[in-house]
Parts: sequence; C-alpha cells; structure tokens
Amino acid sequence: MLEIKNLHVEVGGKEILKGIDLQIGAGEVHAIMGPNGSGKSTLSYVLSGREGYEVTQGSITYKGQDALAMSVDERAAAGIFLAFQYPIEIPGVTTMTFLKTALNAQRKARGEEELDAVKFLKLVREKAKPLNVSDEMLKRPLNVGFSGGEKKRAEILQMSILEPWLAILDETDSGLDIDALKVVSEGVNALRSPERSMLVITHYQRLLDYIVPDKVHVLSRGRIVKTGGKDLALELEKSGYAEYGADEAA
Amino acid sequence: MTDATAQSFIDTFERERASLPGADGWLAARREAAVRELADAGLPHRRLEDWKYTDLRDVLEKAAFTPAPVHQGAVFLSEEDTRNGAALFHAIDRYKIVFVNGRLNRALSDMEDLPEGVVLKPFADVLGEAWTKALIERRFEINWQAQSVSALNMALMADGVALHVEEGVTLDKPVHLIFLAADDGASHMRTLVRLEKQAQATVFETHASAGAAHYFVDLVTEVSLGVGATLNHIKLQDEAEDAVHLATMRAALADEAKLDSFTMIAGGGVSRGQTFVEFEGRAAEAHVNGAYALRGKQHADQFCVVDHAVPECNSHTHFKGVLDDESQGIFQGKVVVRPDAQQTDGRQMTNALLLSRDASINAKPELEIYADDVQCAHGSTIGELDKDALFYLRSRGIDEMTARQLLISAFLDEALDYAPHEEARAELKALVAGWFEAGNLSAEDIL
Repeated sequence: MLEIKNLHVEVGGKEILKGIDLQIGAGEVHAIMGPNGSGKSTLSYVLSGREGYEVTQGSITYKGQDALAMSVDERAAAGIFLAFQYPIEIPGVTTMTFLKTALNAQRKARGEEELDAVKFLKLVREKAKPLNVSDEMLKRPLNVGFSGGEKKRAEILQMSILEPWLAILDETDSGLDIDALKVVSEGVNALRSPERSMLVITHYQRLLDYIVPDKVHVLSRGRIVKTGGKDLALELEKSGYAEYGADEAA
Repeated sequence: MTDATAQSFIDTFERERASLPGADGWLAARREAAVRELADAGLPHRRLEDWKYTDLRDVLEKAAFTPAPVHQGAVFLSEEDTRNGAALFHAIDRYKIVFVNGRLNRALSDMEDLPEGVVLKPFADVLGEAWTKALIERRFEINWQAQSVSALNMALMADGVALHVEEGVTLDKPVHLIFLAADDGASHMRTLVRLEKQAQATVFETHASAGAAHYFVDLVTEVSLGVGATLNHIKLQDEAEDAVHLATMRAALADEAKLDSFTMIAGGGVSRGQTFVEFEGRAAEAHVNGAYALRGKQHADQFCVVDHAVPECNSHTHFKGVLDDESQGIFQGKVVVRPDAQQTDGRQMTNALLLSRDASINAKPELEIYADDVQCAHGSTIGELDKDALFYLRSRGIDEMTARQLLISAFLDEALDYAPHEEARAELKALVAGWFEAGNLSAEDIL
C-alpha cells in the first residue's frame, strides 16, 4: 500500500525528517509515536502533499505510484486521507455542502458517477448516525464553532464517507474526553478492512487501547528509532520518550 | 474654474435645454442654477477628499463621451444567459420599466395594471406634483463634496421614473428598473421614489449593456420614506468593461421608516456608487449593503454616508468584495452621529479579498460621533484566500479551482444574504457563480 524510502524533508530550509523508511501493507494499522517536535505531523503533511514541505531525498510510493508526483487533490482522489489534528474552520460552507462537493469531486476524478442529492443524503445519514453527528451539525458551516470532539467526529465522518485506502490519523485523540475517544475509535475501527491501511499518529498510548495497531514505530528527531508490536506502546507509556532523545518531558 | 469636460456638458445643456423635461416650468430655474454650480466648481477631481480615489474629471475627460443618441431599432434583451446581468430577475413577477440610452422604452416596459394608490410614470409627466418638486429641490443638511455631481445630473437629466405609493399601500410586485445602453454616449437619468406613511415597495435596478461599449450612465435616485414606510432595494450593476457608471442615491427617512438597500457590482469600467442616508425621524432603520466581484482593470468606488441627526435610529453598512487581476476597489463610508442622536446604533464594515498581487483596495470607514449614548462600530479587513482552508479542501479531493470558488463564494454569500428578496438573492448568487466560470481564476494567480 505505502512504501516510504529514505525520506528527507525540509521545512523553511530546516531538515525535519532525516531518512524515514516505512512500509505499510494492505489492511495493516501502524502507529507512529514520538515526542513533540519529532516530525510526526510533518510526515502526515508530506504524505498528503501539503505545500511548503520540501522532499530533498527519498521516495513515497503509494499503490505502486509515485505519490510525490501527485497533487494534494489527486492523492485524495486516489484514496489518501488525512484526519487533521486541528481541523480547519471553513466559514460559509456548510458541512453538508462540503461533504457532497468532496465526495463527488473524488468520484468524478475516478471516473465514477456523481451521487445525486437523494442518494447522498441517505449515505450521510447512515454514516453520521453511529458518530452522533446530528442534522443540525451538518447544516452548520464546516467546523465553525464545533467543539473539539465535534471536530474530530466530523473528521471521521468525512473519512467514512470518502472511504480512503490509506487513512492517516494525526493526533486524533488530542482534545477528546474518554467518551468521545470511544465514539471516534469505534468509527475508525468500523473502517478497518483487509484492503484499507491506517497510519495512526499519536503522542499517547491511550488511543491504541481502542485502535489496536499491528506495528508501532517510534519517531524521534526525524528518524524512526524503534519498531515493535503493540506492546511497544505500553512500554513507552511507562518509560516515556527520554531514552529516544526527547528534547522535552513527554 | 470650469474644466473642459464640464464645459462640454454645459454646451450639451445649451443645445438641448428647450427639449429637456420641465423646460417651461419651475425646473428650468433649478437647471440654470445647477449649470452655474457646475461651471463654478467643475467636475470633481482627486484633490477633493471625497474623490481622492476616483478622479471623475480625469476619467470623463479621457473618455470624451458625446450624448447618447435615441436608439433606433430593436433592443435584444437576453432572458436566458444568466451570466449577463441584463437577464436577471426576469423569472420574478414584476413591473418592468426599461430605459434604453437613458430614455424610457415603452414597448419593452410593462407598467400596466398598477394597484390603486400607486403611481409609476416618467418623471416628466408628474413634474407638476408637489411631491416631485419637493424631492428634486430637497437639500440635505450636510453638503458633501461627493454630492456636487448631482448638479451635473440636475442640469442634464432627460428621463427617469417616478414611483409614488400612497399611505398604507403595499406594492404587490417589485418594480424593476432596467437601464440598458444600446449605443455609445452619455445619458443622465433621475429616479424619484416617495412612499407615504406605512407604504411598502420593492425596487430592483439593473444596469447593463445591450450592445454599447463606451458609455456613461449618470443616475440620481431620490428616496423619501414616510412614517413606517419600507423600501427594499436591489441594484445590480453589470455594465460593459469600458463604461463609466455614476450613481447617487439620497434617502430621507421619517419615524420608523426602513430602507433596505443592496448593491451588487459585477461589471463596469469605472464606477462610483454613492449613498446618502438622512434620518429625519426617530427609530428609523437603514441597511446599505453590497458585494462586488472585480477583475481586469475594473475600478469600483463605493461611497456611503449615514447621517444620524435624530435619536434611536439604526444603520448597518456592510460591503464585501473580491478583486482579481489589476482591479481596484474603494470603500469610503462615514457614519455621523450628531449631538441629538442619542441611542443610535451605527455599524459599518468592509471586507475585501485580494485574488491577485496587482489588485488593490482602499478602505476608509469613518465614524464621527458627537452624542455620548450610542453604540457604533466600524471595521475593515483585507486579506487573501486562506491557504490552510485551501489545503484542507484539496486534501478531501476538491480540485484547486473548485476549492477557490467554494471559498470565494462563501465569502461573498455573507454579503449576498443581505439582498432583501429571496428569489433575487438566488439569482445574484447564480450570477456570481457564472463570474467564476467566465473568469480566469487560474492556478498561476495564486499568491
């Protein structure tokens, strides 16, 4: 599904990622853990194609294609989805309009028929219900005035409607209380399938109790310094990131 | 000092004075006075503060307009191409008054079957009425430099419409004034609106080209609202790109009267829209809002003064615009709260979105407050498209062009939502959508 080789990335002339190697097979869930400033969010932005992140060396191959040659929206249409740590507020665009525009843009890019209003509404209702996303929320401008939990639920709703092949969850647990965390995790787990891969980026082990990964990687100072099974997350919870050269207390 | 361009207008007056409406009545003296005023002051220029960003004298001198001829032959009115402003509002049941080259075209107009208590006529036909004289001779308390151009209109106004609604009467359908330019040249028009106590009316105004390219539209609209009267007004300016559009609206509001005015600027080379509101009675309310979408070398100047002379009145002014290419936008607004105008609520806001490095906006929102028990706020923002928002939308598979359109539409929709008529509002939104398609929102433009 995803193969990252010797990835070096600079932001504003400063090297943030210093040679990342990572392979995620179809159906696998990988977690990336690490202290603040280790490059976790940079990795998620580079994968989604954000401007301002310059790849100086290495490659990203997604489903056999050179992802670095694809634009942000091409990657999205090809099935790469980033659930944002801080979802952006879009005043004036209702959540419903946004969802429909996004889904139909992707379908169009893939040469599929666009969904009409009736089919679309049915789909949204079906996906929104388990995430406790109300009709009222769907009518509000996207993320505007949403609580932290609402924003994250809206992200997962987008993901379940867009049905990506590679989902990158960037600190999806931040700002969530335990109940919201459960709802969001259940939403994510419902999307797990043998064809879908996930990269879960988190600071804390807590999320991984709910979204159980196949592999855990520790990212520190721009490099993956350790890889293990789900138990590695538990070890980290006890020992902290100090031994991996964290610059600050976790 | 009379400038050459003012002199050419005065020459036109000398040639046409005998045929202008009211030539043998009281208006003749008013026209003479206006000509003297124009001769003394000349056309406004950039050394006058109110005209700092739009040098009308220079613009008109370079354009060298001759008077627009009486149009011969048919005028094609497209009702289908929604990208053309002239096609808007046709699906709405309304009274229609069409002016071609500044002259009423009865064949295209539909002003039959008006309800009891409503007069809708060319103003020349009702010059004998007290209310028209009162409106034309009206002087505002504060004389702004910006008002000086009304002398030009007074001297040369050749046609126009007068709407009078009697006490307690609600006009059943909107009145749609369509001003079309079919041939090049200058035209001068006057609209008079008087709503008596508790009367209500909706007026649409469309300004567009029907074949002309190089023309000058000079319109003055005088509005007088009686106690508790309500006027809803929507103006769409979609002139040709080489046209000069000069429009002044002056409104006086009695107790509890309400003016709700919205202007959409989509087309025009150089345009200057001026609105003056004077509160004469308590607890009246004025909304003067608008939106503009400019590109190419378009220059649009909005000038708005709200004069709170009496207590308890509310005013709300909000203009939002997007500017692409080398276009220039100007918003000059002033809310004056005079010593007696306690419990005034005055709001003024302007927001601009620059889509190109070469586009510019000058915003000058001003408050002048002499009363102490008031609520007033004003503000201005100028920005570009939010890069984070663009990335967010694109990360969901929305292509760059669509993402930009979505954000720009959302920005303008907030202003378009002020338009005080639901169907008209929807048509204006469709026009804005067409603006994108016709435009050059290319990836190369990204800042």
